[in-house]
Amino acid sequence: MNTRAGNIGSFPYTQSRGGNLRRVLIFGLVVMGLMLYVGGKVQIMRLGYQIDELEKQKRDLERRNRSLQIEASSLSAPGRIEEIAVKRLGMVRPAKENVVVVKRKQGVAARNDQRPTSP
Amino acid sequence: MLMGVGFALVGLRLVHLQIFERGDLARRAERQQERLMKLESKRGNIFDRAGRELAVSLDVESVFGMPKEVENPRSVARELAGILRENPSDLERRLASDRRFVWISRKVDPAKADKVRDLDRMAIGLQVESRRFYPKKTLAGNVIGFTNVDNKGIEGVELWYDQMLRGVDGWVLAEKDARGRTVFPGGHGFQYQLPRPGKDVTLTLDEVIQHIAEKELDKGLAESKARGGVCLVMNPQTGEVLALSVRSTMRGRSAFNPNEPKQYRPEEWRNRAVTDVFEPGSIFKAVTAAAALEEKVVHPQERIDCSAGSIQVADRVIKDAHKSGVLTFTDVISDSSNVGTIKVAQRLGKARYFQYITAFGFGRKTGVDLPGEIPGLVKDYRLWSGVSLGSISIGQEIGVTPIQMAAAYGAIANGGTLMKPYLVSEVRDPNGSAGAKFAPVPVNRAISEETSKMLRRILQKVVETGTGQKAKPASYTAAGKTGTAQKIDPRTGLYSKEDYISSFVGFVPAGSPKLVILVMVDSPVGVVYGGSVAAPIFKSVAESSLTYLQVPPDDLGGRMLLVSQ
Repeated sequence: MNTRAGNIGSFPYTQSRGGNLRRVLIFGLVVMGLMLYVGGKVQIMRLGYQIDELEKQKRDLERRNRSLQIEASSLSAPGRIEEIAVKRLGMVRPAKENVVVVKRKQGVAARNDQRPTSP
Repeated sequence: MLMGVGFALVGLRLVHLQIFERGDLARRAERQQERLMKLESKRGNIFDRAGRELAVSLDVESVFGMPKEVENPRSVARELAGILRENPSDLERRLASDRRFVWISRKVDPAKADKVRDLDRMAIGLQVESRRFYPKKTLAGNVIGFTNVDNKGIEGVELWYDQMLRGVDGWVLAEKDARGRTVFPGGHGFQYQLPRPGKDVTLTLDEVIQHIAEKELDKGLAESKARGGVCLVMNPQTGEVLALSVRSTMRGRSAFNPNEPKQYRPEEWRNRAVTDVFEPGSIFKAVTAAAALEEKVVHPQERIDCSAGSIQVADRVIKDAHKSGVLTFTDVISDSSNVGTIKVAQRLGKARYFQYITAFGFGRKTGVDLPGEIPGLVKDYRLWSGVSLGSISIGQEIGVTPIQMAAAYGAIANGGTLMKPYLVSEVRDPNGSAGAKFAPVPVNRAISEETSKMLRRILQKVVETGTGQKAKPASYTAAGKTGTAQKIDPRTGLYSKEDYISSFVGFVPAGSPKLVILVMVDSPVGVVYGGSVAAPIFKSVAESSLTYLQVPPDDLGGRMLLVSQ
């Protein structure tokens, strides 16, 4: 009876220690899982913001690039190039007597025209 | 009992609202909660024949305001007016209105947009929109045209090809929250249609030849103190317009800049090469000569008595500028004798001559792809008076457009086929696929190959020894005709003795024509003859254009070096 009582008395103690440990472990795992989940979400959000920011930068750079292309196109207007050539660089059109026109022989011209053009 | 009746009434009302008025109320709720937002399509670009950009669309920002959220409209308006250079009281009025959304300033410079962003006002926002920009400024301004603030074509190629350039706008169905702010629902309920960008248009114009035409025309107009002018360069074999310069020097400004259309009056936008008629004068004698040679009523070497420079036609006496005796028909044209030309035209008769006028495309639109083209003024021969045949044969009593005249000379240059002039060679999707190419369109045969050859030789003589000697380009042969036409004085309805149209039309090189060039100068001051005013412009344009196109010279006078490899 005593032994039974003693046995009965010792069993709940052992079971309670093991159960608590298990609860702590489960709780810890849940917390860790939640932390991983939240951390993951936070990381995704952070990356999302970074992607947003980089996309905005990309858009801005594309816009800037387009503006620069148009500026280059504007600066390469033939009127502007001619003005710089004549006024700033002092260039002149060749006079009639300074131009010698070279006429290729028919055969040579035909052979040259058949050659593939280099890139 | 009373409560029961009350509940019954409420119940009935609920049934009425939920069942009978359900559809109507649901629609009203949708209207209140939904907002259809337009997604603007990107307008296509316009390129020259070598793919150089002439009109492009650039993303810029527009400033908008939400008046219901503005606490102090006056101070916000003052801040914005300082940055955007707008009228502060006008901005205040807009910001104090009871509307949910107002535009403050459309398509502003990036620097101004940054300053507005720095203000960091909740009720003021920026929205990206597309703005049209013409990087070459005044170059071909009258041809390209321009768009309004909503990117709709208003003039020129921008108007003619508006549907293709504009693309199709998209939309997105957004929702409004309780404060009227836009919310995008996302998920399955998110309805939208992406915009389809406009097509790119490639012109037949060549940027460099266009620049040459504009520069030389400007120079010529400045020297002759003229009121305006047109210089048109065309490929006679195809009808492609390579350059089309239109200038008006009124109000001291010579070139139309499509970047600032509001700075100009509508008459400065229009393309006078297709919208205005002028009496061609002696340049029309080439048409008379073509008809006479084709009908074999005259031979180039036939001697014609020019009656000492005077002829009676019905009740009018028509004189030559210089008295001539007996001339060959070639000399009649090269010396531009009115008397000789009229005598030959009289051999043709009204009906036969009229047939050639229409065969060369006069009296009907050429069909060039530019808005506002007019057919010119050509009366049916059955309505001609006694003097009409004589007058028309020397380019009076008839109204033509510069583009018609250039196309007619193109027919003489290419062997006799009238080609439809055109400005756009290709339309393609922005990704480079699915394009439509425009091929040259022959309209009709105006004269035979043989007549064309004879007439080319006659017109070459005009440049070699006749009235058009100043049109002769160095190292190249040229053919053409001078014209000096009196303008009609709008006050008297008679020919003016002060205002003239001086012109020269021709082609180079004379033997194998690559370019037709028309120069028309409106109201030069002092020397007014086409041979002195317009011919030198033709010469300069021809020389520079042929050199640029690397056309081998055909008149070097022995300065040619033969090399072997």
